[in-house]
Amino acid sequence: MNASLLSMLLVPLVAAFVLLAGRGLFSQSSARRFALLASVATLLLSLSFANDFLKLPVPSPRMSPVEPRFSVAYHWFTYGTAAKDANGETPLKFEFLFGADGITLTLILLTTLLTVSGVLISWESIRDRAAGFYACLLLLEAGLIGVFAAFDLVLFYVFFEFTLVPLFFLIGIWGGPQRRYAAIKFFLYTFAGSVVTLVGLVALVLIASSAGVAAPTSMPALSQWITAHPLPNELQIALFLAISVGFLVKVPVFPLHTWLPLAHTEAPTAGSVMLAGVLLKLGTFGMLRLCLPLFPYACQTVGIPLMASLAVAGIIYGSLCALAQRDIKKLVAYSSVAHLGFCLLGMFALNAAGISGGVLQMINHGLSTGALFLLVGMVYDRYHTRMLDDLGGLAKRLPLIAVVMVFISMASIGLPGLNGFIGEVLSLAGMFRRNHVYAVLGTTGVVLGAWYMLTMLQGAFFGPLREPEHGDQAIGDMNLREFAAVAPICVLCLWIGLQPQPIINTIKPDVDAVVAVHEAYLPGNERVAAAPPRANALINPTPND
Amino acid sequence: MPENIQHLVMWLIPLAPLAAAIVTALLGPKGMREKSHLPCWFGLAVAVVCAYVLLFSIVPGGFGEHESQAVVAPGYQWIDVGGLNVRVELRADAMTAIMLSMVTAVSLLVAVFAAGYMHGDPGYARFFACFSLFVFSMCMLVLSSSFLLLFVFWEGVGLCSYLLIGFWFQKPSAAAAAKKAFVVNRIGDFGFLIGIFLIWTTFRSVDFATVLGEPQRLAELAAAQPGRITAICLLLLLGAMGKSAQFPLHVWLPDAMEGPTPVSALIHAATMVTAGVYVVARCTPLFVHSPTAQVVVCCIGGVTALIAALIALTQDDLKRVLAYSTVSQLGYMFMALGAGTLAASDAAPALATTAAMFHLYTHAFFKALLFLAAGSVMHAMGDVIDMKRFGGLRRALPITHWTFLAGAAALAGVPLLSGFWSKDEILGALYSAGSSESPYHGYYYAVFAIAVFIAFLTAFYTFRAYFKTFWGEERFPAEAGHHPHEAPPVMAWPLRVLAVCALFIGGLVALSGSFAGYLHHTIGLPHAEEPGLRWGLVFVSVAVVVLGIGLAWQMYVAAPRMPSKLAAAFRPLYAASLNKLYFDEIFWAILVAPLRGLAWLAGWFDRVVIDSIVDGLALVPRWLSAVPVVFQNGRLPSYALVMWAGLIVCLALAVRLFASY
Repeated sequence: MNASLLSMLLVPLVAAFVLLAGRGLFSQSSARRFALLASVATLLLSLSFANDFLKLPVPSPRMSPVEPRFSVAYHWFTYGTAAKDANGETPLKFEFLFGADGITLTLILLTTLLTVSGVLISWESIRDRAAGFYACLLLLEAGLIGVFAAFDLVLFYVFFEFTLVPLFFLIGIWGGPQRRYAAIKFFLYTFAGSVVTLVGLVALVLIASSAGVAAPTSMPALSQWITAHPLPNELQIALFLAISVGFLVKVPVFPLHTWLPLAHTEAPTAGSVMLAGVLLKLGTFGMLRLCLPLFPYACQTVGIPLMASLAVAGIIYGSLCALAQRDIKKLVAYSSVAHLGFCLLGMFALNAAGISGGVLQMINHGLSTGALFLLVGMVYDRYHTRMLDDLGGLAKRLPLIAVVMVFISMASIGLPGLNGFIGEVLSLAGMFRRNHVYAVLGTTGVVLGAWYMLTMLQGAFFGPLREPEHGDQAIGDMNLREFAAVAPICVLCLWIGLQPQPIINTIKPDVDAVVAVHEAYLPGNERVAAAPPRANALINPTPND
Repeated sequence: MPENIQHLVMWLIPLAPLAAAIVTALLGPKGMREKSHLPCWFGLAVAVVCAYVLLFSIVPGGFGEHESQAVVAPGYQWIDVGGLNVRVELRADAMTAIMLSMVTAVSLLVAVFAAGYMHGDPGYARFFACFSLFVFSMCMLVLSSSFLLLFVFWEGVGLCSYLLIGFWFQKPSAAAAAKKAFVVNRIGDFGFLIGIFLIWTTFRSVDFATVLGEPQRLAELAAAQPGRITAICLLLLLGAMGKSAQFPLHVWLPDAMEGPTPVSALIHAATMVTAGVYVVARCTPLFVHSPTAQVVVCCIGGVTALIAALIALTQDDLKRVLAYSTVSQLGYMFMALGAGTLAASDAAPALATTAAMFHLYTHAFFKALLFLAAGSVMHAMGDVIDMKRFGGLRRALPITHWTFLAGAAALAGVPLLSGFWSKDEILGALYSAGSSESPYHGYYYAVFAIAVFIAFLTAFYTFRAYFKTFWGEERFPAEAGHHPHEAPPVMAWPLRVLAVCALFIGGLVALSGSFAGYLHHTIGLPHAEEPGLRWGLVFVSVAVVVLGIGLAWQMYVAAPRMPSKLAAAFRPLYAASLNKLYFDEIFWAILVAPLRGLAWLAGWFDRVVIDSIVDGLALVPRWLSAVPVVFQNGRLPSYALVMWAGLIVCLALAVRLFASY
């Protein structure tokens, strides 16, 4: 298992360096084949890793709310001498701590799957400097896997920022007409946000190290220490707000979202798929990994009103903006703002239903929005336009694309039986239990979501056929390669819709641990604690919630 | 019947149509083509047989005993997280069995008809795949064991409705109607979903067995938190109003007539639109604890029935007349559901719910019949459905004529036909509620009066459509060619069978008392003695029916120039009815246009305000850089100047620092 976890990280990384080093030697066709090979190999590795992972026993009792069920650690360096030095400070130990819990696993699988789709969809459309393109795509994959697998703050932050670089080049080199502006804006905006996060993280590590935590950057150690010795309330709030900023930009949350539609419209299809499918989840993932378990007081007092309001604003505002768009890709981009609003809303319900719903929504949005971008890319490859005003009645010309589009749109608007519903309904139900008002406001997104998606379907795919001049070039329906890119996603959408419980069970121990922190920290919200919380009860979740 | 066989039978009811849908979707377009209806026929036949087996096996030992439990066919765990526990499993009791026997039988008849009606359409296979999928969803909806699972298939039938309304997707009107149906339904679903959340937080469960099946606990909860129960009921009602096209969410149903006529017959008349009625009937144990919610149900039904009947008076599109009639009849069912107030008697809820379900049952047959007959007219008239363009068809289309007449007579409530019996029960329930001591009894009287008036309107507009289509001078549109052809046998036989059902099923069931006797094996519906016919009511309802039919005869057969004179005399009223009381325009003005405007505003705000702020902030470092840029100009004197300045500042600081020592 050690090997498969690290090789998931290394295979795309090495493949990317090979592509970069030998970029003069690779032709378009050899580069894409090589990239496909590498991404499929990574996918298979992740599947075999998942297979091993699911056989692992769930640790009980848990030592810490953030705890990998499986981890690999390599000593990096120690700051200070082994014994206490003159100032009475303990030496600081830094290590590469990679690991996996249930949440990590599902997100890694999402990443490896979408990368394969990304390679397949770029097959024909990327002709210029193909080796570099695929190298960036694989680097991005490695970076994303790195973030999800990192259980050390330094590693986490390094990978978190590292993902910006390949995507910056993907947008800036292979993007649309405004690619430079979009790439720079994307980079600077998210980077500026992350810097504030960095300040918060550094402060947190300093506080922990001065309190004598031996490995202050290790998430399990840190969260174990904080659970046993909660930080003062004001400090929690300050750190929570600082660390959230970078994540909120990444999510993105209204009003910090304007980089997103631009980045999406300018990015090549594969870039959009990765950006919407996985990269945005770094925001919510970071929130779940760091903010929820470490700052329970701040989450409950400041977090719920702030984040739930932002989420609701995002849902309504994102939906309205989506309704106003004439460019399909932009419409889908704004729909992401709305969908991640559901995700945030669920997480800040701070109960098992809500957080599970938030995690499911992350996966579901990755699948359905990833597929939507793939489909929009297919239309764009054929007509070189994505404007609703130029397109109409495409169901006649492209029946298979239309069928898949309707299917994915239904998944996206949360039709029960498909994946989107599970995430939405659990998020909303969780929030409803916490606070009726936010949940009811969030539920309006269900109506608006149907409206903008179906308006798009009606405009582009139904009605009389209207297509741009395409000369003698025959317009064919979805081909086998495109089918291979989108079919696994469709299967997963249906499977998660019918059988969400395996995923819920996979993430359950990790979600429950976070919920336990909140229930024990501020009793009375849902369950009145009979006894004052004991250190052990803080960590070990009680069953059936 | 052994338990596991019964479970198998239950699962077969939805799964046989599902299998048919999958087979047709995969093999239909390329392989089966014109034979694509066969899997659907076969699947539905299996479902019908199973549904009737269930109907006769689920209530054992005669209808009189009252110990029957719901049968639960186990499935699998769907969701279990944070106290939300939902299983995918089937639950059948008497109400389920009755619904299934109607749904599967009507579906099969419509499917047979559709094979003739849709013959030669390029989307033939797609039609039957969606059709089978619909029957699957509808059966699952009825068989669901919890509110959340019900919601899943509630949306499932909505999807099928969307796909089938937009079946001819190249027609812009069809594409628009499909979207409208889905989005308007979503408004109702918004309420439904929140209602489910509220049920979950109140009862800690969303299972019917827990929520509805424990009367003691329910009564305690209702006594402790009456507002909460009312809120749940009203939210569920909002969902039901969307699906069952109740005012003000009725606007989607008339537009849904853009779909193929068999779809209108099955989905938008007989089955899906009655899902709302089913849900409210299913939740009778909840509604009885909220007199407020009940009177709201009743009044919404009354208002809906009235406005739909008024609009139906002047429509020239035969299918639209039937569509508004459907809305109106659904309103009738809601009136009945709302009339089951405990203030009238302990038995009133059971009687009222039985009346609503009975009307749902008979309505399904005669309205499906009317739609199919209208489809047969369209088939013969080259897809023309405007009654101004044809007339006197009774000689050219004898089978269609007779079957339409049977349906029209049943709908109008001609004595001894199906509609008469169920309508009579509804009037009785309303009258009882009106004469009760309920604080709302005035409302019930008003609704009762409206109901009687609507009975008159129904008879009038139904026979208006009948006379305009089949009587008068024989006229065919150009699209029909010179010799309109009567329906082929594959279409004629379903019409005949439905006609027989429409005529006699009501009387058969009502006179034997079997419907109520059977239905009371449902949770929350205590056994109630039926009061029997109230002759006063019977007299009134017969009188209004005769009056309505007579007036229609007078206006459209005896004196055919009268309608246009009347229309001219009451121009504004006529125009209001013809334009559907301007509901589409009102909706556009108060909902669609403001939201569109808001969306445009949001888009503008995003582009111009928020993004400009972001770009503006990005300029700040550039402005700040303007200061050092002045000195960093590459000229030696500037650098020397800066150096000197720096040195002086440093020296000054040093002096200051050391001076203090």
